[in-house]
Amino acid sequence: MTQDKQLRRKIRMNAILLGLVALGFFLAFIIVTALKN
Amino acid sequence: MSATAADIHDSHEHSPAHTGIKRWLFTTNHKEIGTLYLVFSLIMLFVGGAMILVVRAELFQPGLQFVNPEFFNQMTTLHALIMVFGMIMPAFAGFANWMIPLMIGAPDMALPRLNNWSFWLLPVAALLLVSTLFMPGGAPASGWTLYPPLVLQTGDAFPFAIFAVHLLGISSIMAAINIIVTILNLRTPSMSLLEMPLFVWSWLITAYLLLAVMPVLAGGVTMLLMDQFFGTSFFDAAGGGDPVLFQHIFWFFGHPEVYIIILPAFGIISQVIPTFARKPLFGHDAMVYATASIAFLSFIVWAHHMFTVGMPLAGLMFFMLSTMLISIPTGVKIFNWTATMWQGSLTFETPMLFAIAFLFLFTIGGFSGLMMAMAPLDFQYHDTYFIVAHFHYVLVPGGLFGAIAGCYYWLPKWTGHMYDERLGKIHFWLTAIFVNITFFPQHFLGLAGMPRRIPDYAVQFTNFNAMSSIGAFGFGFSQLLFVYIIYKCVKGGEKATAEVWDNPEGLEWTVPSPAPLHTFEEPPVYVSRHQVIGRQ
Repeated sequence: MTQDKQLRRKIRMNAILLGLVALGFFLAFIIVTALKN
Repeated sequence: MSATAADIHDSHEHSPAHTGIKRWLFTTNHKEIGTLYLVFSLIMLFVGGAMILVVRAELFQPGLQFVNPEFFNQMTTLHALIMVFGMIMPAFAGFANWMIPLMIGAPDMALPRLNNWSFWLLPVAALLLVSTLFMPGGAPASGWTLYPPLVLQTGDAFPFAIFAVHLLGISSIMAAINIIVTILNLRTPSMSLLEMPLFVWSWLITAYLLLAVMPVLAGGVTMLLMDQFFGTSFFDAAGGGDPVLFQHIFWFFGHPEVYIIILPAFGIISQVIPTFARKPLFGHDAMVYATASIAFLSFIVWAHHMFTVGMPLAGLMFFMLSTMLISIPTGVKIFNWTATMWQGSLTFETPMLFAIAFLFLFTIGGFSGLMMAMAPLDFQYHDTYFIVAHFHYVLVPGGLFGAIAGCYYWLPKWTGHMYDERLGKIHFWLTAIFVNITFFPQHFLGLAGMPRRIPDYAVQFTNFNAMSSIGAFGFGFSQLLFVYIIYKCVKGGEKATAEVWDNPEGLEWTVPSPAPLHTFEEPPVYVSRHQVIGRQ
């Protein structure tokens, strides 16, 4: 795999990971609030 | 899957791929998207500003003059939502788009198509939000905090307003992801993390804050939506829910949001002051750690916004003390900026004037914040005009002055022309004088007991309200001069050199003015903050 392709892959993986973190926070807060009630 | 900078870069030409409206609709270039963000935020400044002038006109004297109370409340709500989500956040996103790749020696943002999408969601969301004014029942009138059960009384506009908030949140999250990924992956290899300029550091930390708290707001408003339309009782006491829980969720987002607005302004001030003091920034690394500390502390102070809801003494003590702790890293920043100026060869061009005004006036906002951090005192100030005065001192001479300073500072780099310095100084003095006429009397109104968010008031508040209204109109109209200065600078003027200022720090000053559409296609060699290649 060339260095350029590796960089593209890393950028995409980073972005997906951060997106999943945001989605996780979103769901976690709804679930925790639901459980608290 | 989104394309990366490398994909886009493989196929680009050295002029825009499209012309006319298509150029702006389909652009993936960080400089063009930065310009879009900045122009959009300038338009929103006037939209949100016009709304608050309705409010200030109504408050010029006691009694109901121009609008009914419902419309008055809609104006305060939309003013806040537009200024926070539609004006100041996009303004700093514009600076990030323009300057971060230039400052770290990157060819573009890491995810250019995502970048385009982040921007174009904004006008859609803003239009949606403003359109709620014309729906049956009018726009939301609960204040930007959207507290239930009040917000659930909104008419047909309710789901549209919530959808607009969702869109604004998605746009911010995508921008944050892009900024983090760009800084971590596309920085020129010779620049270490700690060597990064303070503006880049501030934005890296801000982007993490955005990523952590925008989903919380999205979760909160989604639950409001479910309570209204799907029969849940998250915040409905009759169904076993708790309306105060929404306040906790909102402020868990809302307090870090304050830092999302102010940290990029801190970053700009940290770039401006060293340039015009002709000295390196005092305590660069300490500034980075202070910014990170402020960001961390912002997660553990949220309930100081709701001292009066009734919480255990231990809770009051915890949130009171943790809030006071924030003054330590903030103090580090204020002292370091002052120390940077100490014995410097100071000159007072317009960006520096705004930076110095920022330093003084933001500190006033900081001190009134410290007063409210004390729970027993906050019981007196809560929901009064003192609060309005406090947060406007933080957000206007803080956030907005930071943005204006940055605009004057980098305008020659963006346009290739120097702005009119004489007009810039007139703009500064008008803005600085009127901002104080607007907001300083509000401290006295609050201390005397005038509640916020009311269209009418007792006659003893008349004089300070009249003063505040005159200041607001003066402040608003002064910004027309700002638009003229920008227009004049875009159209022409004295040619700017690549360095623009007297030996400024940073890679952005190594590219010509105006910055070409594509820069740093090969990573530049970065020696140190003070020794940029080509100018050693």
